[in-house]
Amino acid sequence: MSFSAILGAWIAAFLTLGIFSYLYRDNPFYKIAEHVFVGVSAAYVAAISFWTQIYPNLFGRLFPKDGPLAFTGLEFDFNHEFNILYLFPLILGLMMLISVFQQFSWMARWGIAYTVAIAAGLKAFGYLNSNVLNQVKASSVDLFSGSLPFFSLGGDSVFNNIVLVVGTLSALMYFYFSKEQTGNFGRFTRLGIYFLMVSFGASFGFAVMGRISLLVGRFNDLIDYSSADYNYATLGVLLFIIVTLGIWSFQNPEQKEN
Amino acid sequence: MKFLEDIILKLGAVDRRVIFVLIGLAVLIPLLTPISLPVRETPTTVKFYDGIEDIPKNSKVLVSFDYGPSTRPEIHPMNVGVLRHMLRNGHQIYISCLWPDGIYMALDALEEITDEVNPDNESTFDIKEYEDYILLGYRPGAEAVIKGLASDLRKVYTVDANGNFIDDIEMMDGIKNLNDFAYIYSGSAGYPGTFEWVKYGGDPTGVPMSSGTTSVQVNEVIPYVQTGQLIGLLAGMPGAAEYEKLINVPGIAIQGMAAQSFAHIVIVLFIVFGNLAFFIKQRRDRKY
Repeated sequence: MSFSAILGAWIAAFLTLGIFSYLYRDNPFYKIAEHVFVGVSAAYVAAISFWTQIYPNLFGRLFPKDGPLAFTGLEFDFNHEFNILYLFPLILGLMMLISVFQQFSWMARWGIAYTVAIAAGLKAFGYLNSNVLNQVKASSVDLFSGSLPFFSLGGDSVFNNIVLVVGTLSALMYFYFSKEQTGNFGRFTRLGIYFLMVSFGASFGFAVMGRISLLVGRFNDLIDYSSADYNYATLGVLLFIIVTLGIWSFQNPEQKEN
Repeated sequence: MKFLEDIILKLGAVDRRVIFVLIGLAVLIPLLTPISLPVRETPTTVKFYDGIEDIPKNSKVLVSFDYGPSTRPEIHPMNVGVLRHMLRNGHQIYISCLWPDGIYMALDALEEITDEVNPDNESTFDIKEYEDYILLGYRPGAEAVIKGLASDLRKVYTVDANGNFIDDIEMMDGIKNLNDFAYIYSGSAGYPGTFEWVKYGGDPTGVPMSSGTTSVQVNEVIPYVQTGQLIGLLAGMPGAAEYEKLINVPGIAIQGMAAQSFAHIVIVLFIVFGNLAFFIKQRRDRKY
């Protein structure tokens, strides 16, 4: 095992157990891990965005080899031709950066306005097509189709279609507030609440399952790092954190959790 | 009866740190002493498997790594399985990433299935970059990237992950946009991911697509399977385990399912005890 792999395992074990230590209470190990995570993530995204997008796709098109701006001494050869339109994203991006100075803060609005408008236009079509029209189409089912079995656990059936239609309508009606939800209408919307509760329950179950999956992943790594190949990284770090936290808690009794 | 109620009340008021320790043990013990539990395929996983089987042999397929280390335990086993399945069927794989760290997930997955690294493993392949697969890499921009791929791939990807010009790579000949792929797969952990691929990739182009998602997203993504916008879906770690069983390469997802099951038992028990304690306390308060 190389030195870098062993060092990486020790750092990974420290950061993982540092985050887990929050389950006991807020402490310096958790703070270190949290700050390292946020800092490294931000720096990594900034660096990779520059070298994979801005450098080849923006500079490559504004300052191509033998392009009209070659006299500036800037030349980036990515097989692109000069395209003056790319000057606009460069200017808008610079305006957003300059806004860190108080007197130029208004400049950021132009870039933000452009981004919001593009995003709104792009998303409006996507949502309408994929989430509204296609879903409405899929909910329009033949309730009494002769070709379907009455009941099926896994596939299409008359019973499942009835549940789909009743569930969709009753849940939608629950959000119709122009009529008082009493009498038969009230009973129907109450049915809608039950459908919504089943949906929320399923979401909660899936969320729990997801978190446990992540815990399984971290534990698998910690088990790997506890081997002699990694110089017992997990055990060493665990011992260090427990002893240090014990001393720290003993010296700071007033900060003990409520 | 009062004795039993007192025990339930004590369990209902137990310190949260005790629950953390118990859940930790419920996960850790099955991982240290592997227990084999049966895995039963769900219809969405079977549809997913059939969808990949139905791709004509030796096609060009796009695989997107839209996740990072934080969600690796759920998505990575799926993506490794998908790469194995696709290579087994002779497809050429084009790998894109909407997440910045997706590229490292892709490199790890490729390493796992490469003969050079795992020569004794029967489920690995003698694959070569620019012949069997190409790593296009990460591009920031989320849905704008997918929209760009749908219209002109070469405007989004000038160079691949190694910095080589796309125009100079033979494997890229004939690839102009998403329509030139036979299939799209996204291993997604959130935004950007499955939703964006469906809206701006699969739906507008009509290219068949499927996805593997984290458990948290399943409830929102599964309607896409019912409408046919997604051919199939791998739902979290259980989905990955079912898929590993279908492709007959047991892996880390199947191993993790025992830990999942035991942790769920502990959580369900505490939910039951918590509710019972609540009702007992409510009744006693009313009485006195």
